[in-house]
Amino acid sequence: MTASAITSSTATPPRPGRSIVDTDLAIDLTHVAKTYRGRVQALRGITMQVSRGAVFGLLGPNGAGKSTLVKIMMTIISPTRCEGTLLGRPVGDKATLARVGYLPEHHRFPEYLTAAQVLDYYASLACVPRDLRKKRAPELLELVGLRDWSKKKVKGFSKGMRQRLGIANSLMNDPDLIVLDEPTDGVDPVGRRDIRAILQHLKDQGKTIFLNSHLLSELEMVCDRVAILVQGLVSSQGTIDDLTRDSRRYEIEVGLPGEVTGTPSSLANALAGVATLTANAPTPPMLGSPPTTNQTTIVTSDGVSAAIPGSPRRAAALASGTISVGGIGIPVSVEATSLTVGSDDPSVVQPIIDVLRSRGFVIKAVRPVRASLEDLFMQAVTDQMTGEVLAPGAVRNGRGTKKGQGRAQTPDGNAANGGGR
Amino acid sequence: MIQTRAIFKDAYRELNSKKMFWIVLIISALVVGVFGAVGLNPEGITILWFKFPSSIFNTNLIPAQTFYKIMFATLGVRIWLAWVASILALISVASMIPEFISGGSIELTLSKPIGRLRLFITKYLAGLLFVTLQVLIFTIGAFLVIGLRGKTWEPGLFWAVPYTVLVFSYLFSVCVLLGMITRSTIASLLLTLLVFFGIWAVYTAESSLLTFRTRGEMRVEKGRETVAKIEQQRAEFEAAAKQSAAAGEQSEAWPGQFELDTKKAALARVESSAKSVTAWHKGLFAAMTILPKTSETLGILERKLITDADMKELRERDDDRSDPPMFPGEEFPVRGKLVAERVEEITRARSAGWILGTSIAFEAVVLGIAALMFRRRDY
Repeated sequence: MTASAITSSTATPPRPGRSIVDTDLAIDLTHVAKTYRGRVQALRGITMQVSRGAVFGLLGPNGAGKSTLVKIMMTIISPTRCEGTLLGRPVGDKATLARVGYLPEHHRFPEYLTAAQVLDYYASLACVPRDLRKKRAPELLELVGLRDWSKKKVKGFSKGMRQRLGIANSLMNDPDLIVLDEPTDGVDPVGRRDIRAILQHLKDQGKTIFLNSHLLSELEMVCDRVAILVQGLVSSQGTIDDLTRDSRRYEIEVGLPGEVTGTPSSLANALAGVATLTANAPTPPMLGSPPTTNQTTIVTSDGVSAAIPGSPRRAAALASGTISVGGIGIPVSVEATSLTVGSDDPSVVQPIIDVLRSRGFVIKAVRPVRASLEDLFMQAVTDQMTGEVLAPGAVRNGRGTKKGQGRAQTPDGNAANGGGR
Repeated sequence: MIQTRAIFKDAYRELNSKKMFWIVLIISALVVGVFGAVGLNPEGITILWFKFPSSIFNTNLIPAQTFYKIMFATLGVRIWLAWVASILALISVASMIPEFISGGSIELTLSKPIGRLRLFITKYLAGLLFVTLQVLIFTIGAFLVIGLRGKTWEPGLFWAVPYTVLVFSYLFSVCVLLGMITRSTIASLLLTLLVFFGIWAVYTAESSLLTFRTRGEMRVEKGRETVAKIEQQRAEFEAAAKQSAAAGEQSEAWPGQFELDTKKAALARVESSAKSVTAWHKGLFAAMTILPKTSETLGILERKLITDADMKELRERDDDRSDPPMFPGEEFPVRGKLVAERVEEITRARSAGWILGTSIAFEAVVLGIAALMFRRRDY
């Protein structure tokens, strides 16, 4: 980070209603932009807040700018523009980094050092006193399961072991903020579980964790909040609950009357009189295929199914429409033996269950369902108009903007889709 | 301070892990062993228990302690340390910057609370550790061997440590800059050697031209003396002729007129040639001024080791030896040894401040550019 970048970040007046240093925020970034060599726009105005003590996940396809953002925070890349703070100090302040632990993606430790020497060397650079280094190194090697390897040279370490060592290394200075770039990269399932346990342990200690990962299921398990980065802009951010609120629905699985195998229309017929349904064209579900347009015409705009591309259940729906509950139309989609109700309100589901039972159906299961992080991710990286997955990579100046970027956050930080703190 | 110590400790661990460090150290031990094996007596040189009579190398012509100091300064420092060992050291440390700034490695360091400029300078200084340790160990060995074998304890030998490290640092600074630019060990190493080959070529051309310029100037001096002498003879002849004429005797024409004309014409040619050589030398000298002076920096060390008094004694002992002219058939020939002595005087007269100042200025500029690149670059 150049001095000028730091100056510009501190010289800019604070946004209305917010003080320069919000001590509740571990990371508070505004208008972070990075253009490489005047052409490639890696970041186009990122606004992002991470509360202290939170586990925050940053997702995005390759080339979205995730690592660039992390590197700007860690002063490895100087931003074209950056306003914001890290642990209450302007981004770029070197002294703050003494309180930050960092695991870079594809890190390489000097191969002539042993595991213990690696921890000692980098902790020394982080100004950790000698006695603390000597105390913490064996503890952390124990934590990451490398106790017996402390005197072995890194040269002989597997990728997973190096990753474990990297995590131990990022914790040597007992940081308040831990930034992990692809921490489970190259780690086997047991190792991933161990890393999740470590993250949970750190969270319990009140540490703030900033995770950058491709493994969405990993993030889903540990993160309180996530942000999705697409082509240098935040597409959406918030808690996973926030982001999936609109996608919540109930699935009712039924047994047909008399255990006779029903025709596909039998369940739909059962709802005759209470629901307005239209049959869908039989479209075979395909991996990664966009939703068929006839489905979106039937389901109302606030229906969950229409908002979640890539949902295999939706692709298999035979009929969809609305069902009237207490005078309110609730979107539904009907399959051979199941019914999806576009509401997360259990009281809405009860009358529908009553109708089904009164018409002889056996209720086998009633399941609350919501979109997964993968669904959200796919939604973010798929062009809603064409259904094509956006090409990875940053935006280049002078070549226009890429498809779908209109859905992403605008450079002034206003999220167009989801988000909110 | 914790950070600086850590970087130096890491540099030590790194060179400790390099085979080259130990190979160079073993060769250094062998060179020191050679010092111990070689002796000088009135008859000639002794190597272990073998005697090699020599009319040039014996204690009648060269005092034993001067012989050892010359051997240390030439074989030990100029050939081994500053030339061979420096290149081997460069091969070892050329990878330092490209590896340091490589992806996956630099992030770990830059994300620490240490300023980039300080990090760069500390890393650079740590890169000099290889040569510093090598030279220090070599000099200690040489000091002990010369002390025990030559019966002369010369603490002045330890000047070799700062001067050799300084000479290596000229080389290393260029390697660091090229490493920053190319990010490649091989490219930076080869280009550094190429740059220094160029500098060596300029230096060699300058010192050759200095010899020719000095020789030309000495020939001009000799020519002028010769012409003056002949003109003196003519004046004497003409005075005598005048007296004879006054006495009424018939005077003859001066017989040396042809020789005088010939010598004058030769002098004009020599002067013209000397002027041309001087112009070329001045141009090369100006080029050399902005370049690092490896050989001359070592020259300062040699001056510290082998004092003017030592040189004077050598010349006195050697004075009765014959020395033919450099080119016997030419006009106004000068003895090679006299030319060499004059060149030696000129080079010794170049101040240490000028040599070190211009060389360090070159290094500072090169490092400054590299540091600027390091500070501004995105990794």
